[in-house]
Amino acid sequence: MFSGLNFEPAQLPTEAEILRTGVREFIAREIPSDYLPNSDFNEGHVPAFSRKLGEQGWIGMTWPKQYGGADRSFFERYVVTEELLAAGAPVSAHWIADRQSGPLLLRYGTEAQKLKYLPPITRGESYFSIGMSEPNSGSDLASVQTRASKVEGGWVVNGTKLWSTDAHRNHYMVALVRTGPPGESRHEGLSQFLVDLHGDGVTVRPIKNIAGGEDFNEVVFEDCFVTAEHLVGTVGNGWEQVTSELGYERSGPERFLSAFRVFVEFVRYVDSNPSDEQSALIGRLASHVMTLRQMSISVAAMLQAGKNPATEAALVKSLGNDFEKVLPELIRLATPRLGPKHPLRCSLEQTLLHSPSFTIRGGTREILRGVIARGLGLR
Amino acid sequence: MMHDLILDTAERVFTDHCNKAVRDEAESGPADDQRGLFPEDLWAVVKEAGLHQVGGEESGSTLVDAFRVIRLAGKVALPMPFAEILVSNRFFQGEGLTTVAEGLVAPWARRAARVVTDDGQLVTEFDVVQGANLAGEPRDEIVFEEFESIELPPNFRAIMAMTRVASMCGGLEKLLELTIDYVGERKQFGRPISGFQAVQHNVARMAGEVAASIRASDAAIEAMDTNRFVLQVAAAKVRVGEAAGIVAEIAHQAHGAMGFTHEHELHQYTRRLWAWRDEYGHETEWQQLIGREVAAVGAERAWALISDCAS
Repeated sequence: MFSGLNFEPAQLPTEAEILRTGVREFIAREIPSDYLPNSDFNEGHVPAFSRKLGEQGWIGMTWPKQYGGADRSFFERYVVTEELLAAGAPVSAHWIADRQSGPLLLRYGTEAQKLKYLPPITRGESYFSIGMSEPNSGSDLASVQTRASKVEGGWVVNGTKLWSTDAHRNHYMVALVRTGPPGESRHEGLSQFLVDLHGDGVTVRPIKNIAGGEDFNEVVFEDCFVTAEHLVGTVGNGWEQVTSELGYERSGPERFLSAFRVFVEFVRYVDSNPSDEQSALIGRLASHVMTLRQMSISVAAMLQAGKNPATEAALVKSLGNDFEKVLPELIRLATPRLGPKHPLRCSLEQTLLHSPSFTIRGGTREILRGVIARGLGLR
Repeated sequence: MMHDLILDTAERVFTDHCNKAVRDEAESGPADDQRGLFPEDLWAVVKEAGLHQVGGEESGSTLVDAFRVIRLAGKVALPMPFAEILVSNRFFQGEGLTTVAEGLVAPWARRAARVVTDDGQLVTEFDVVQGANLAGEPRDEIVFEEFESIELPPNFRAIMAMTRVASMCGGLEKLLELTIDYVGERKQFGRPISGFQAVQHNVARMAGEVAASIRASDAAIEAMDTNRFVLQVAAAKVRVGEAAGIVAEIAHQAHGAMGFTHEHELHQYTRRLWAWRDEYGHETEWQQLIGREVAAVGAERAWALISDCAS
């Protein structure tokens, strides 16, 4: 199409559409009809639900069967994820393990690690948190100061990770740490370790967010010993690995569906009798979702073809985040003041309270635009 | 692939024979209210290459090919009623240049032998009140007494809207290319302005809008022979129309005062984008079509309507 950006036309194959029917039936059966998710954050950590998804074979579904996976395509995974998100299903317990930690292990892990960690993930029993940001390292990930020092039989980790979602109730973290000097590129000397969040030397402290939730955490490592078997990939290869992990983190439909339940509640509110202005707004928002979906399916096709769609994923995330931020604002202005318990108002307010995070988590808007500009050859 | 061959030919012919001078000439005229001279030489080249028959049943190509070539025409701001010519060739064949009127206003009716209106009237005897859209493309009002009723293909308005979607995608691509080139060449404060983060972020935003537009357009084309065609065209017209304004604005901002001059070709694309988004229904018309459909199926089926595959 044009330099560095290529969204090939891609259509979901028949088997993916057949699977969609099954997912919809599952959702209709398993999610109570009066269930009102406020956003993708709240009350989304439900191990019982994750285990049910595991029973369906819908976690780690693109992974090989010998690791508990289902050998399914990225298209099928796309369909499962978008159906769950559009329904507001409580999926956060297993989400990060399924989306990025598992694929990271699959790509860089040892055979023993794959056999040990992947099957419980696919059963919906083992949950992971992200260990990237730190108090002094946000967008500038190469500046991380958490350090792992080589000792007899393994490594000792010291430092602090920040914004680790659900670290207080998940099992493991993949932590990006410094194991050597940064070199001129600053990308050298980084490594990734699997850390047991319930192990010795790990303190997890929840941090309250502006919506009142306590989902993300500060995780402090004090002389935390990990064996050599906890190293992920190669010593010093952390930058390449974490970049690949970010590709998975940025590629999915969760980057434009965070506010979708507000749209659904708005459609419910206008019922079959929308004003011209309300119809126009619904149509405008729907046209954005339809387009973002098509782009996201195109990214899934690139993943399926074994390509690395890092720039395209950044672009879809950036567009999607801007969309999910403007959605509640536009619906707010198209709705009269409703009572405090009205589902549309609750949904709007909860989403608005979470919306600042949309363009920060997984790469800020500014970082993503830089990634896109690089893809265009501007830097 | 024959289809790729058509695209290769179109791209070569358009880039070799359509440039700023040709477009300037087509926009000129003896007086301010008589602007718009049909580019006969360019038309001869287009016919010679057979591009006026793309999408026609005898040519072995399809309407999908027609939309793809219309996009390429948009990318060179081809100064002729190319979309109308291809649509007419496919659906309303007859002697002489045929154009299509939206209401009573038809591109280049002054040069046409036949006009088909979008409510199914074929007109061969007509007077013309010359006019133009804001891009300086002739948009002539036709005045007539006699007409022949003809059958339009199903979803005709959506097909015509799709021609504007495809044209706009071509224009959007060109604006991105022009802008990337310009910010890489233009130096201020001792370096190319592409080195400034504010500029990079604007161009990145532009790229997002262009990528979204092309995807929306392709998705509509892919849905052509399905029951989702009108819905997908509606979404594409909405999405691309929105992108057109944003991309034109950023392109002009990046080009500075240089891009505001008539001498620079930038305006030949931005003015067309501003004009085309209003032709065959601006964003609001199509938004309402989608919105009413979503409201009619209701909240529980809204997602299914958005995500269902074509059949």
